[in-house]
Amino acid sequence: MEAVELKNLSKFYKKSRGIENVSLTIHEGEIFGFIGPNGAGKSTTIRTLLNLLQPTGGTATIFGKDIVSDSKEIKKIVGYLPSEVHYYDDMKAIDLLQYSAKFHHYKNTNRIYELAEKLQLDLNRKMEDLSFGNRKKVGIIQAILHEPKLLILDEPTGGLDPLMQNTFFELISKEREKGATIFFSSHILSEVQKMCDRVAIIKDGKLVTVEKVETLIKNSLKKISLTIENGEDVQFPFEGVKDKQTHDKNTTFLYRGDMNVLLNHLATLDIIDVLIQEPSLDEVFMHYYE
Amino acid sequence: MMIYNREMKKNMKSLLIWSIILAGIILMTLSIYPQFTQDQQTMNDLLSAYPDSFKQAFGMDRLNIGSLLGFYGMQIHFMTTLFGSIFAVMLASNMIAKEENEKTVEFLLSKPITRARVIAEKLLAVLTNIVILNVVIMLVCIVGFQFADEDVPLKTFGLLIIGTLLMHITFAAIALLLSAIMKKARTITSVSLGLVLISYFLSVVSGITDGLEFLTYFSLFKYIDPADIISNESLNSLYVGIMLIVIVLSIWGTFSYYRKKDIAV
Repeated sequence: MEAVELKNLSKFYKKSRGIENVSLTIHEGEIFGFIGPNGAGKSTTIRTLLNLLQPTGGTATIFGKDIVSDSKEIKKIVGYLPSEVHYYDDMKAIDLLQYSAKFHHYKNTNRIYELAEKLQLDLNRKMEDLSFGNRKKVGIIQAILHEPKLLILDEPTGGLDPLMQNTFFELISKEREKGATIFFSSHILSEVQKMCDRVAIIKDGKLVTVEKVETLIKNSLKKISLTIENGEDVQFPFEGVKDKQTHDKNTTFLYRGDMNVLLNHLATLDIIDVLIQEPSLDEVFMHYYE
Repeated sequence: MMIYNREMKKNMKSLLIWSIILAGIILMTLSIYPQFTQDQQTMNDLLSAYPDSFKQAFGMDRLNIGSLLGFYGMQIHFMTTLFGSIFAVMLASNMIAKEENEKTVEFLLSKPITRARVIAEKLLAVLTNIVILNVVIMLVCIVGFQFADEDVPLKTFGLLIIGTLLMHITFAAIALLLSAIMKKARTITSVSLGLVLISYFLSVVSGITDGLEFLTYFSLFKYIDPADIISNESLNSLYVGIMLIVIVLSIWGTFSYYRKKDIAV
């Protein structure tokens, strides 16, 4: 059974666009990234999956259960970390986590202390006194405490310092080893690159592509830097050249296409230096947004 | 019942404060009654000092202030109905909207619990609070009646209490519906407090002015007019029916609207 399956899922708001005909499948045990700039529809998709928003078209299932009619059943096996963590201010961190555990009938509350120690969180502080980062830690514990089969994380690392981010990724990896499927959205590409098996890219509410991270990085684009004698205005008479920038003798561009065509053309130029790199995911990402 | 327990705990302080204040006022007022009846002359002077329209507005022309229940109807009933309604709408109008205002709703609804269950537990918390307040009112009144050596017809007094309770619940149900539909908790509190005060104002106005009787239908306070209840020894079944219908429709509306509401934080 697939962990998550979206079939033409759409959500239109009264005034603004939400998401349109998003179809994708997340396999069980996978770490699946969901990237796009702010406002692209990442949170809308996630909130629709959690039935916080009613879909206006299409269907989606989580472990075979319908997101609208079986929402309660789904939430038993899902852990959710929202992008902005807001909890009851009058509660201490420990109260909130125990409150959350009770909803799941989760008895092993020692795990709260274990997780808090790993994340260096003081459980006896009131929620209103916690910083943004510390509140996020409460959110992380709340999401993974009941050992869910599916973790949905909306921009999980925001507010965490780099050391904490590493701890967070360790925790996530541990959940994965136990068999959890992880779906997380981000606009920070390096973390997607580090963690994910596959990535979906969303833009203006529409799914642009779903690809393996390696495919995305390796096969699709090359970043080419050239230094050419008299090369202020070098032209490439074929398809696939993007983002060409020329500065004195240096020209850089992204290339997608037949390598032979490119190399044959380069051979005709008076080249001083050439560098062919795999682009960063940021550049891949920019490419999709052109 | 986790949400219910939490709401009960959170509202305990406010319930306690309202109960103490209302109980204090009731006891103080009732303690005046014995002196009041001793000196008939002063009382009549006092009453004749009020203008006629004022007496009509507050039902003084039809209530016998010389009897304990009449005194209750004139001096206490308006406080228990008015203050109790304010308590009820302030409680109910916050009940659902505060989760969205404080953005905690995203946490709550990501837990394995249906929306209907969330509303049901919150509704139950509102009802429990209102019933407790009314039980306090009733017990304090019974204690206060002991100041006078005069028997109160318990059935009529019971009707007055039931009417008050019914009215508090009606206002609470309307406020709860607003709480499910509207977003800003503060606006909802203002709107529902406004409803209570307008309703009270209409009951006063419709008493004074001839030709404005139709206004009584818009005033819940007139639905449980103490002069009517005491003289008829019964609640007006049309008014009770209207209140029950409003309660049922509001609660039904709350559930059905909230079930499909988009939670945008």
